[in-house]
Amino acid sequence: MKENKLGLSIFCHAVLVFAALLVGLPLYFAFVAGSLSLQEVQQAPFPWVPGAHLIDNAVEAWTTGGFGRSFMNSIIVTVGIVVGKLAISLIAAYAVTYFRFPFRMTAFWLIFVSLMLPVEVRIIPTYEAVADTAGPIRWLLNVVGISGALESLFGYRIDAYLQWNMINSYGGLILPLIASATATFLFRQFFLTVPDELCEAAQLDGAGPIKFFWQILLPLSAANIAALCIIQFVYGWNQYLWPLLFTTDKSMATAILGLKNLIPVNDSVPAWNLAMNAALFVMLPPALIILVMQRWFTKGLVDAGK
Amino acid sequence: MATEFPVTVGGASAPSTKLAGGKRLRFAVPTSENGLKAAHFRNGRLAAALLAPQLLVLLFFFFIPSYKALSLAFVQVDPFGGREIFVGLENFTRLFSSEEYRSSAWITLWFTLIQNVVTIGLAMLFAFATDYVARGKGLYKLVILIPYAIAPVISGILWAFLFNPAVGPLAQLLHSFGIPWDPNRRPFDAQLLVIIASVWKHICYDYIFMVAALLAVPTSLLEASRLDGAGPVRRFFTISLPLIAPTVFFLIVMNFTYGLFETFGIIDAVTKGGPAGSTNILVYKVYQDGFVQLDLGSSAAQSVILMFVAIVFTILQFRGVERKVNYQI
Amino acid sequence: MSRMNKSSIAVGLRNLAVGFGVSAVALGAAMPAFAQERVKVEWWYALSGRLEEIVQQLVTDFNESQAEYEIVPVFKGNYEQTMAAMVAAYRVNQQPVIMQAAERSFLTMLNSGAVVSVDELMAQQGYDIDWGNFVAPVAGFYMVDGKAAALPFNSSSPIFWYNADHFKAAGYDKPGETWQEVEAQLTAIKEKGISDCAMALPNDFYWSLIENYSAIHDVPFATLANGYGGLGTEFIYNKSPLVVGQVERLERLMDANVLQIAGQGMSPETLFTSGVCSTITASTAAHAGVEAGAEFDWNATFLPHEEGVTPLNSTIGGAALWVLQGQSDEEYAGAAAFFDFIASPETQNWWAEQTGYVPITNAAYDSMTAAGYFDEHPTREIAIQQLNRAEPTDNSRGFRFGNHNQTTQMLVEELQGVWAGQQSPQEALDKAVARGNEVLRQYEQLNGN
Repeated sequence: MKENKLGLSIFCHAVLVFAALLVGLPLYFAFVAGSLSLQEVQQAPFPWVPGAHLIDNAVEAWTTGGFGRSFMNSIIVTVGIVVGKLAISLIAAYAVTYFRFPFRMTAFWLIFVSLMLPVEVRIIPTYEAVADTAGPIRWLLNVVGISGALESLFGYRIDAYLQWNMINSYGGLILPLIASATATFLFRQFFLTVPDELCEAAQLDGAGPIKFFWQILLPLSAANIAALCIIQFVYGWNQYLWPLLFTTDKSMATAILGLKNLIPVNDSVPAWNLAMNAALFVMLPPALIILVMQRWFTKGLVDAGK
Repeated sequence: MATEFPVTVGGASAPSTKLAGGKRLRFAVPTSENGLKAAHFRNGRLAAALLAPQLLVLLFFFFIPSYKALSLAFVQVDPFGGREIFVGLENFTRLFSSEEYRSSAWITLWFTLIQNVVTIGLAMLFAFATDYVARGKGLYKLVILIPYAIAPVISGILWAFLFNPAVGPLAQLLHSFGIPWDPNRRPFDAQLLVIIASVWKHICYDYIFMVAALLAVPTSLLEASRLDGAGPVRRFFTISLPLIAPTVFFLIVMNFTYGLFETFGIIDAVTKGGPAGSTNILVYKVYQDGFVQLDLGSSAAQSVILMFVAIVFTILQFRGVERKVNYQI
Repeated sequence: MSRMNKSSIAVGLRNLAVGFGVSAVALGAAMPAFAQERVKVEWWYALSGRLEEIVQQLVTDFNESQAEYEIVPVFKGNYEQTMAAMVAAYRVNQQPVIMQAAERSFLTMLNSGAVVSVDELMAQQGYDIDWGNFVAPVAGFYMVDGKAAALPFNSSSPIFWYNADHFKAAGYDKPGETWQEVEAQLTAIKEKGISDCAMALPNDFYWSLIENYSAIHDVPFATLANGYGGLGTEFIYNKSPLVVGQVERLERLMDANVLQIAGQGMSPETLFTSGVCSTITASTAAHAGVEAGAEFDWNATFLPHEEGVTPLNSTIGGAALWVLQGQSDEEYAGAAAFFDFIASPETQNWWAEQTGYVPITNAAYDSMTAAGYFDEHPTREIAIQQLNRAEPTDNSRGFRFGNHNQTTQMLVEELQGVWAGQQSPQEALDKAVARGNEVLRQYEQLNGN
């Protein structure tokens, strides 16, 4: 557009500056609060200039909040979610788009249906699923009569061995969160846009499905994979409800939970300076990832909506 | 498991051929099956193996819990697992006749609606501005994007601090104007606080989509309109907006989902549903009743209702996506 | 074979370890935990802050006093969170041995089928506890048919804390005995500008200002002797003009900003100890915090009562220790040993002095009196005196409701509506009673057989 409406231009810049302030001011206030001492953070009026305790507060918040452990937990869980989701959805999407077999459509619809229900509506039963993962297996064995047979024939109580409890474990934190098929659906959409000629050429060259997958499809999907990694990293790092339910052990808490425990509630000292400080360093990893990989991320986010 | 009979769609069939080295080429000709690549493989066993992890995880952590949620909704159960009484639809009738549930549903509706309108409105404004300015686009986009990295619960904590009646800078500002701001006592204040925290966190999401959608509007159309004498604002409303309408529709659906479910963290960290149940949105009530008050039957019934709502929204979401994808220019 | 080598190495290592252990003990190491394999007994508790420190000390003392058992204390959050965690763990067979549950969870725990009666446990393990020695109101709350279902652990009663400096400055010696006097005094303190906040609303105001109010004034909170008579009990506190009047009084004081709610992230007790608010009705266990933090002339007295009413006894709060099913015999033995330790007069003395909780046995109470402890710390005795003030009637013995946590939450929500000006006290109480009765009927349906 070659026109030059100065008034509108100024207005737009003003709007965007307002937007930047809207985003930036709360973060700035958090930064200031995180650098004040306990007395200073309670004073009125609230200071506009940062105080001198940024590092002290960071150290104190880090140690009292147990963030050394919870950051490690968050990293393990988040990486687990990213890798786990990526792995199972890539191959599942591949299977559903590139293979012809009976019940293909059934499999697809089963996967599709799982998109319908966000995790929050299955809170309690998912908790039980994590706490007693082998429950359905035991039930099945009972119903079919196998456990009864085993017991009477060999005196072997298989029930005792099928007690898998994933509460307070990394598995419990990771598995329910990779159960949704959003990534599968995403990759399926992408695979559908890949030109058929590539596959035909590969088949003519004598490549089997696995070779095709590794050498051709995956490299093609690199951009989507990168975008998905970023989105899932942020998603996994910021998880709140599930870690809240699945970890009763403090040593298994994630960084987000550790932060929540620092929030002053009734019956405690109003240490908002520590809480704000911690909020800043807890939001650092996802923010860094997005800032560094911004280009892929934006594209990926928009593609994900397609 | 792979059968080899040829399938024809207006073309010749291609039987399988044997290559040197004994490998069997499994060809298929173009089919019109939904979602299946024209060039595909027929190795059913491999496909099953590839699908197994996803389906297994879904089985244990989606299908079985969903079924259990459904069945728990029809009983009254002792939280320790000792007693269970089948009560049919009683949990549901009790919910619908309970004023608290209706109030919670009403509050949830208003929340999501207001959040939706404000988020889309602001995002659209910012997207328009970003599209129009000649310089600094990248920088603005980067800054506005930051809240995406921030968890809703952190947004809640931030704004709770800012508006804290005792120590928060914004609260002090309000008090100095004579406004008795107190989210601990005044329901309206608590609701406002939660809305601000959730909108602030989510604007970036709508913004990114709209910026991308605006970019996709063909410049030829805009040029033509400009030559006809339409100003930038006029062009936005008459050309761009209708063209990005499918995206906007998609975002409205996503915003509803966000408001319904992802604001849980904010509520739990900031108001815990209070005061006087004024921020007790449906998803938080499910958690409160189930996990804190240990009323599993009622909580499961509420989950079932939420499931239906979620299904409706997902269907809408995919219709929206369809329309977007099919919209070709 | 390598297996043989491995096992001989293992044997060798074990001998070495035993050797080390023996020498460590022989060296009189001050860490008895070093040498043997102790039976670990897991205990989930719910006290935080200064009280948590004292709990940790209690556990350390027990662990060091003997060498067979080791209590492993785990903090799970507040009473509600601990309860939820325990229920969830129980469903998948991961429950702890001992669990601290608030007094209002009594019936829920009792009927759960998940507990072992403490009386049975102690008898089985060969301990002879004189349950009659337990202070009457405390015992009455936790006994069923004369047998203790749970071990009273931290029992308290609410008392009226006041800032003596503020009262003196306003021209008063001390708070009046009646609500009428106290209301006038609080209003005067605010109007004279001595303090902006004459009273802080405690987080458990439903306990100190409503439930205890009804007990002290011999007003039935519910039918069937507040639930002691059976599961068919119904809430009726909304029908008492006194209770309605009390809520109206609180509303009045709050509208006048004499009574204030602590802001988000602020603790009402801290508002008192920091001198911001002049009074608060809080548990006697606040002694720990007040003594540590208050830098003014503080004091405490009995809860106020209405003019013209002879006050009865107050009811207890706090929590008790329950023993859960499904544990091994050694763990039960360990739990019993720990309970015996707790109930001993020495421990009770120490615990009551440290925390401000009421000593649960008469023996402990007597020994503290004999040692002149209460002469030195008169405020410590107020709670016990208030508990023992009268012979408990049906209305002041305590409360026994299923899902009492849930019904309390409903009362709090409805009253929040009063503070917000959305409804009148009578409306709020009516709704709280209606909602609460629904919960009671559900509980009866599930448990009444």
